[in-house]
Amino acid sequence: MLLLEYHNLLLKYILTERFASTTPSSIDQVISDFDGVTFHVSTPESKTKILISISIKCYKDLLQHGAQQVLEREYGPYITETEPGYDFSLLIDLENLAEEAKEDLIRRVSLLRRNTMAAPFEKAIDTHHALAEAAKAVSSESAPQATESEVMVIRYRDEEAMYIQASADRVTVIFSTVFREETDRIFGKVFLSEFVDARRRAIQNAPQVLYRNDPPLEIRGVPGVGDVQGDVGYITFVLFPRHLTQQRREESISHIQTFRDYFHYHIKAAKAYMHSRMRRRVADFLKVLNRAKPEAEEGEKKERKTATGRSFRVQA
Amino acid sequence: MASQTPAVVMDNGTGYSKLGFAGNDSPSFVFPTAIATKGPAGGGASGGAGRPPVAQKPSYLTGGAGPTGHLSAKRGTEDLDFFIGDEALAQAAGPGYTINYPIRHGQVDNWDHMERFWQNSIFKYLRVEPEDHYFLLTEPPLNPPESRENTAEIMFESFNCAGLYIAVQAVLALAASWTSSKVQDRSLTGTVIDSGDGVTHVIPVAEGYVIGSSIKSIPIAGRDITYFVQSLLRDRGEPDSSLKTAEQIKEELCYVCPDIVKEFTRFDREPERFQKYVVEQLGGKKVTVDVGYERFLAPEIFFNPEIYSSDFLTPLPNVVDNVIQSSPIDVRRGLYKNIVLSGGSTLYKDFGRRLQRDIRHLVDDRLRASEARSGGAKSGGLEVQVITHKRQRHGPWFGGSLLGQTPEFRSYCHTKAEYDEVGPSIVRRFALLGGPGT
Ligand SMILES: Nc1ncnc2c1ncn2[C@@H]1O[C@H](COP(=O)(O)OP(=O)(O)OP(=O)(O)O)[C@@H](O)[C@H]1O
Ligand SMILES: [Mg+2]
Repeated sequence: MLLLEYHNLLLKYILTERFASTTPSSIDQVISDFDGVTFHVSTPESKTKILISISIKCYKDLLQHGAQQVLEREYGPYITETEPGYDFSLLIDLENLAEEAKEDLIRRVSLLRRNTMAAPFEKAIDTHHALAEAAKAVSSESAPQATESEVMVIRYRDEEAMYIQASADRVTVIFSTVFREETDRIFGKVFLSEFVDARRRAIQNAPQVLYRNDPPLEIRGVPGVGDVQGDVGYITFVLFPRHLTQQRREESISHIQTFRDYFHYHIKAAKAYMHSRMRRRVADFLKVLNRAKPEAEEGEKKERKTATGRSFRVQA
Repeated sequence: MASQTPAVVMDNGTGYSKLGFAGNDSPSFVFPTAIATKGPAGGGASGGAGRPPVAQKPSYLTGGAGPTGHLSAKRGTEDLDFFIGDEALAQAAGPGYTINYPIRHGQVDNWDHMERFWQNSIFKYLRVEPEDHYFLLTEPPLNPPESRENTAEIMFESFNCAGLYIAVQAVLALAASWTSSKVQDRSLTGTVIDSGDGVTHVIPVAEGYVIGSSIKSIPIAGRDITYFVQSLLRDRGEPDSSLKTAEQIKEELCYVCPDIVKEFTRFDREPERFQKYVVEQLGGKKVTVDVGYERFLAPEIFFNPEIYSSDFLTPLPNVVDNVIQSSPIDVRRGLYKNIVLSGGSTLYKDFGRRLQRDIRHLVDDRLRASEARSGGAKSGGLEVQVITHKRQRHGPWFGGSLLGQTPEFRSYCHTKAEYDEVGPSIVRRFALLGGPGT
């Protein structure tokens, strides 16, 4: 419950239900997901052919960094002609579906958003490994080479972007994020300082997290940075080689992708918690106030008001 | 927010919450409006902080955690440790969690729980960032304005939602009936019978405005019918008479008959009307429950309440007739002509047909009596029509989906900026969505 899932619950439900049932029926559902992602699940041709399309804001950026290859690897045979208005489509034919393929397919499709967004991260990690190899090969004597890749920019929301940079000893991911309210920014800061604390106290192998209000060095000069007015914050994650090993990388990619939503989700949860404390306080104060009310207002004060506001005395 | 994200439509009922995106023809999620929280029940606004914690279960049942201590309450994550919907019911069956129902009789009862219920609905189930979406919520008829303000406070201040519209369920149910072929004009005049889990409301609506003074509610709804079925099963000593079984039997096998006396003799004549219902109990054991007269007796309590309750005795058709008779005379004709059903407990087979017949009888009797009194003057008659349609089950949700997808929807909402400017009182008024001129 503390973490957000990586997959889309509804996609999973729909497919699980459709795959299990024997009576085909038509579907036409538009599903939203975080960060302006929209899915469309429909059965345009016949009830047994399910078309699943995704539209994602930063698809252009993702294509530049190898999204096509990642999607082909994950969904190969199911890829179909892209539905107009969307960025990428899959077609599942229920009549030609092996029983043992179903579970894996449900998992894959419900991770559609995650996998579409994964490309730049995969590229960065690959670049990191390549650079590390190169650095090892040249070792100390030769002149220092380029050990950093260019910064990849993924504009995944209207005013927010992710910047990814690989180098020989790390992968740096920077989020720019907008706070709609001053309170949110403060909660956000507290939340992030807990991250820093946790790293200091217990979990030393957690990635390094930094928060600043102005663009960090790595991305200064990248076109578009600093254009957005208002409450922008920059969160830098530094992923070290131990996060980028073959076994860990899938997990790391999933985690880091959901960070922005996770972060804003917790800011909101924190506010909800504050509100419930405030409500409780008010209820307590009210109790005290009620206790302080004089009991007997009878006797001299028998004045009442009529509907028009005139006062009169009740005759005993 | 340049691109148009679909509006989020949430209809939180006493029994079930219907959540989804505008434009779809069915809600994406339907689950019980229930939340399972750690520790003893209650809490929230009513539980005073100063009160000594009362252990409601022995500590070995709460998994050693027991009522939360002071320190852990400050640093812990209890506020995030909860489940909603079906998961809540599953968790509450085990130790450690208590189940709460934040909505009573259609109105929000516990705001702490409701806030967290929404939080989880939005982030975990619907997976949307509320800052990117407009929201359409529903409210029961005669919802106090303070309740609206609380809702707005949560939606805007906790979640920063982009925009908010709160609609009355009955008005949405009328909009949902536009899909029926019997409805020729998209008018917002009609009588809505909304029967869900907790209460049944009969609500006259004229041109989109609820005639508040004429609303009647009936303390008989889905839950009561389930209890009734359960009690019949118990009386006969059936092998399984849990609430769940009773509910399933009710939903799958019950129907409305034209005449109970005849129906009894019909059952005796045609033994195939008695049915068997197979229940799989915990552990996979299967038992068979015989189902008999409750098939038609259960929904009959709408028409003959005396078989179930001793303090509420007016049959539903009479309530509908009284409601319309107490409404302004110039809208009565429209109210009789467009009686719209909505909610889960109106789904019984032939419910609408019986209702239409009974109301027509009442109306015709009255017309004949007045004709007799006037000494021979003929009346032109009065059309009575009860609308049954495909979207009835989630009527309010579907109506919300229909109106939420229209291009002008956003202009009817209050936005976050307007809320920040005016404050919670802004939601006391909304322009009428789907009314004349749109
Ligand atoms: N096919 C069916 N036949 C009869 N009853 C049904 C059927 N399907 C659902 N119900 C009953 O309808 C009720 C739920 O209806 P609904 O979802 O409209 O209520 P709600 O909106 O949660 O409650 P309320 O409107 O009172 O706040 C439950 O009691 C359920 O058992
Ligand atoms: Mg309802």
